[in-house]
Amino acid sequence: MSVTAATAPASVEPIFNTKPRGLWSTAFRRLFRRRSAIIGMIILAALILVAIFAPVLATHDPTKSLIGIENVQKRQGPCIHWLGCPSDQPQHYFGLDGNVRDLYSRILFGARLSLLVGIVSVGFAIVIGAFLGAISGYMGGWTDNLIMGLMDIMLAFPSLILAIAIVTVLGPGLLNTLLAIGIVSIPVYARIMRSSVLAIKQQDYVMADRSIGVPSGRILFGNILPNALTPLIVQGTLGIAVAILDAAALSFLGLGAQPPTPEWGSMIGQERNQVFTAPHLIIFPGFALILTVLGFNLLGDGLRDALDVRQRS
Amino acid sequence: MRKSIFLLSMLLILGLVVGGCAAPAGPGAAPDQSAATEAAPAEAAPAGPFEPMSMAAENCDYGGLFKSIEAVDQMTVKFTLCQPDPAFPAKVAFSSFAINDADYLQATGGGGELIEKPNGTGPYKLVDWLRGDQIIFERNEEYWGEPAIPQTLVFRWSAESAQRLVELQAGTVDGIDNPGPDDFAVIEADPNLQLAKRSGTNIFYIGMNNTYPPFDNERVRQAFAMAIDRQRIVDNFYPAGSSVATQFMPPSIFGYTDGLTWYDYNPDEAKKILEEEGVLPGFKTTITYRDVVRGYLPNPGVVAQDIQAQLADIGVEAEIVVMESGAFLDAADRGEIAGFHMLGWGADYPDATNFLDFHFGKGASAQFGNGFPDIWDALNEGATKAKPEDRQPWYDKANELIKQHVPMIPVAHGGNGAAFKADVEGAYASDIGAEQFALMNPGGRDTFVWLQNGEPAGLYCADESDGEALRACEQVMQSLLAYEPGTGDVVASLATEWTANDELTEWVFKLREGVKFHNGATLDANDVVLSYVVQWDASHPLHVGRDGSFTYFPGLFGGFLNAPE
Repeated sequence: MSVTAATAPASVEPIFNTKPRGLWSTAFRRLFRRRSAIIGMIILAALILVAIFAPVLATHDPTKSLIGIENVQKRQGPCIHWLGCPSDQPQHYFGLDGNVRDLYSRILFGARLSLLVGIVSVGFAIVIGAFLGAISGYMGGWTDNLIMGLMDIMLAFPSLILAIAIVTVLGPGLLNTLLAIGIVSIPVYARIMRSSVLAIKQQDYVMADRSIGVPSGRILFGNILPNALTPLIVQGTLGIAVAILDAAALSFLGLGAQPPTPEWGSMIGQERNQVFTAPHLIIFPGFALILTVLGFNLLGDGLRDALDVRQRS
Repeated sequence: MRKSIFLLSMLLILGLVVGGCAAPAGPGAAPDQSAATEAAPAEAAPAGPFEPMSMAAENCDYGGLFKSIEAVDQMTVKFTLCQPDPAFPAKVAFSSFAINDADYLQATGGGGELIEKPNGTGPYKLVDWLRGDQIIFERNEEYWGEPAIPQTLVFRWSAESAQRLVELQAGTVDGIDNPGPDDFAVIEADPNLQLAKRSGTNIFYIGMNNTYPPFDNERVRQAFAMAIDRQRIVDNFYPAGSSVATQFMPPSIFGYTDGLTWYDYNPDEAKKILEEEGVLPGFKTTITYRDVVRGYLPNPGVVAQDIQAQLADIGVEAEIVVMESGAFLDAADRGEIAGFHMLGWGADYPDATNFLDFHFGKGASAQFGNGFPDIWDALNEGATKAKPEDRQPWYDKANELIKQHVPMIPVAHGGNGAAFKADVEGAYASDIGAEQFALMNPGGRDTFVWLQNGEPAGLYCADESDGEALRACEQVMQSLLAYEPGTGDVVASLATEWTANDELTEWVFKLREGVKFHNGATLDANDVVLSYVVQWDASHPLHVGRDGSFTYFPGLFGGFLNAPE
């Protein structure tokens, strides 16, 4: 009989032997586990590459009419040599538009514009909206009433109608379109921010800050804001898709990007009457729009699932 | 608390919106009709003995063509002119000078109901105008002439050429106006459809206003005339049947100068001149147009972008500005467009005065800035000679002077047309856009549905200038004379015969007996006098109209009497 020595459990793992995963790394792991989010990211990555390398990928100048340069007809369909188009004809992947310009090159350059519109206008809306919402939620009282009352008024108008009204006043053009779409998206972000701030305001760590007399500004921007960003990021990603669609709609109506700028919405708008005689002029820009919006929506959905605290188990 | 603030801010915003919308409407309202009316002995002629109306200008210094209009007897009207006018019958036949019932004119006050519910003598009478949707006409059973073939006529409109074609192919309409240029081949290949072409009795031009620098410099305007490749525009963006314009006048209309050529396309020379004049480098301008399809411009957006590209080739940066149709025409007429503007003109009646006097005569609008006195003189000489062979040299001179001064760059005479179902008998497209649907038989059906480009703004065509409105008026209203469908020759209508003195200054019209207006009134000479006087006399209490501009009257007859300063 031997007394077994009480050996220390040599292989006991300390509970915290690895650095705990933070919110963001967990979120990314969850994000990469979702197939739809990955597809969204691939689409967007491709789109961003196209936008950056548009001058390299394009075969023609997107604003240059090919009348008198090549022997081509306006609104000619696609001609791709390895798909059987005779090699003595000039190659145009997506065909030519009504002004005898290469549609493929125009769509590539259009990606730049759409991404720019989406990101800039949503960025603008998030900055202003988050600021207003944070102030509103943190201050409460009449400030809250005033800001949220204004936001409610803006929400009462259909966003596209309000954007059209703003562009009509400011005059058509790309910059004014950006501004108009930015302005009409503000209320959504302000409301989301306000509700997050209202919830976080009651948390113990904020109470603690208050009790030791941390200045309001530091509490709001130092402690509350960073913790309230999650829903804003999700909404912002989805919002880019909406902004791109709104910009395309404005351009379709002739209020957005001005000719000869290649913009998908205005490309569709200008050729809308050729939908039966030259369908490629509608299909290709329309498809580019669909793909972009799909990309942002898939990524946004994935982000929402990944960042949602309640779903974490 | 929150609610009240919310309500308050709502009210504030609402107030701002309403205020902002209401403000611009003020100056655009019809001018006040407070001017003296003593010159108008216009009294209603109630049942009883005929009391002839008349109206005379004190003298001809007011600048217009009319000296007097009088009812000689119940069925005779006499016009006395300040100058001879060989084109007078052609002008009188125009649908802006349709005859209204005098009592109806007075009952409506010269506006209001008159615009919504026209009361004419034509083969159709208006049943209902559903704003934004359609206009329904019905056969006038008491029509003095050949009764209309279709029992019901419906006017609809759509700005999109693709939609018009789809409706025609689907059979929901019997005829459409202005098919898209690319659709001509589709229609010709379809056995269920027929295409009726219009020859290009129109002109598409790029206008410049000589009150804005650098367009005040004639050499600069000439340089721009060399910088635009008109052949390229016509070849690429116009349907078959169009031609490159060498001058403002279309070839088939009297006043065209045979053999006149425009500046040759020469971008290098243009660039050189512009550099010499200090315009280049660094000239930025605008190209303004309205996004509506007209016979002279079937593809406005694409043509605008091509002109933009052509200007970019010589180093001119042009921004494209699209304006609403009405606002664009107003801005152009007031001379408010500083850059290039793309506009056109279709013939209303086949004579040089309709083109040249309207645009370059003394009474012309400020579209091209200040007029050119040497062109005025040539046009005045041409308009006052009696014989065509005496007139032609003056129009040759005017066309030559227009080439020299370049108030605009003539680009194209656009061929266009209308398309009908194959079973429509008698389908035709009028060169001047004045189709008479009463003459068409839609395959035995009792309703003819016509789909045009746009909705008429009003149906009192004295105060309309858009062809979309004029065509609708022409189904209901009639003038003293009319244009023969197809040829455009002047023929009898409400007047059965017309005579002039040797100097062509006194014109006497004999009215047709027994013509009834749709409201039952009988046509007499006073109806004719009052219909003209309310247009002619700007101080007349019935000179109201839709917006009060009455564009055609001063354009064709020199000017208003008692015009406000």
